[in-house]
Amino acid sequence: MSMFEIWLGILQGLGITAQVTAYALVFAVPFALVLGVAQFLATGPTRFLVTAVIEFWRSSAVVVLLFVFYYVLPVMGITLSALTVSALVLGLNIGGYASQAVRAGLQSLPAGQREAGMALGLSRPTILLLIELPQALVAMSPTFVNNLIQLVKATSLVSLVTLTDMTFRAKEIAQTDYDPVAIYSALLLAFFVVCYPIALAGRWLEARVHPEKGTARGI
Amino acid sequence: MGFDLHFALSTIPTIIGAIGATLLATILSCLGASALGFTFEMIRRGGGASGLAVRFLIDFIRSTPVLAWLYFLYFVLPFYGIRLGAMTVGILGLSLYYSGYLAEVFKAGIDAIPKGQQEAARALSLTRRDTIVFVIAPQMLRNIAAPLGNYFVSILKATPYLAVLAVPEMLGRAFDIASETYRYAEPLTVAGILFLALALIVAYGVKRIEQRLLATGRR
Repeated sequence: MSMFEIWLGILQGLGITAQVTAYALVFAVPFALVLGVAQFLATGPTRFLVTAVIEFWRSSAVVVLLFVFYYVLPVMGITLSALTVSALVLGLNIGGYASQAVRAGLQSLPAGQREAGMALGLSRPTILLLIELPQALVAMSPTFVNNLIQLVKATSLVSLVTLTDMTFRAKEIAQTDYDPVAIYSALLLAFFVVCYPIALAGRWLEARVHPEKGTARGI
Repeated sequence: MGFDLHFALSTIPTIIGAIGATLLATILSCLGASALGFTFEMIRRGGGASGLAVRFLIDFIRSTPVLAWLYFLYFVLPFYGIRLGAMTVGILGLSLYYSGYLAEVFKAGIDAIPKGQQEAARALSLTRRDTIVFVIAPQMLRNIAAPLGNYFVSILKATPYLAVLAVPEMLGRAFDIASETYRYAEPLTVAGILFLALALIVAYGVKRIEQRLLATGRR
């Protein structure tokens, strides 16, 4: 097979890669928003509990988490498809990271924002939804883009639990063709083609959102 | 076939026995990634054709998954007659992958140093090498203690990827037990808990070191 044919073969797995990413976002976005806001608002034991849940998902190694859930859930009598387990684990892991951006974004807003909302007689949920969250999410949007890239890259793990994503395709082709240089270069290139445009979009966003942060150059 | 707690407990010593390999891979990868990342950043700052090439390489690394890099090195190096052990390939892979991230950390750390420092070094007619070693590096280290520590913890959490290359670290050992006993849930759960505990302990240790570093270095 030519390099181009190998590359096309690998890109056949792009559908699964995209599917896992999209499905994982279904878990990641609500998780990040709810737990990020909860960690921001909660105090005392509730805050400890929220922090513990977040820490479990972001401090565990995602490789290990995926295998644990893939093999342990069936033993517990819960049978989910490989796709669902992958989306759940990758989604909640990246959601744990993103929740920290949500919390940090809310914490970095000046107190005057909330006080102004209170002076206008708005309720706490209204202040959160209409004043704090929109600003915090916009300010943290470049971080969310980075999280998305991390998620896309982490989907390569699903090849280890039988899903036929791009990484799985590469290994499949490697079984019939002995051409490791072409195959694995093509795999890296396939991910680059998907992730680099997202990274560029993130940089553009960063420049829009934080125009004051110029890049200094030296030495 | 439920979850056999007694069996799970019996796997703990065997899996903990592989902690040495996990820590060795972590420490060497942290050193490798730091050295490579700093070198990349220096070349990138130097500009010119090599600076541009390294800038692209860093973007490329950051847009591709670590698993793809591990496969790439594992299968491509032997193709060129370079035969290395799986552990060595794993450490090379993690070093290369994280060097892309650490280069960015070093960049931010250097950018945060006041420009007068470099001007003063030039006024004293220090060489570029002496400027880097005696003026830039020590101040940079204090600026980047926090993100550098976070990436070291990330590297620890990436070491179970090496199980894919059959490196006998903790996850690999858990899989060995699983394939001998046909029971996956218990050893993997044990590995999951051990990795989480290790990550939390190391993260705490890194934070303590970081605080001491910042406390003693305060001007």
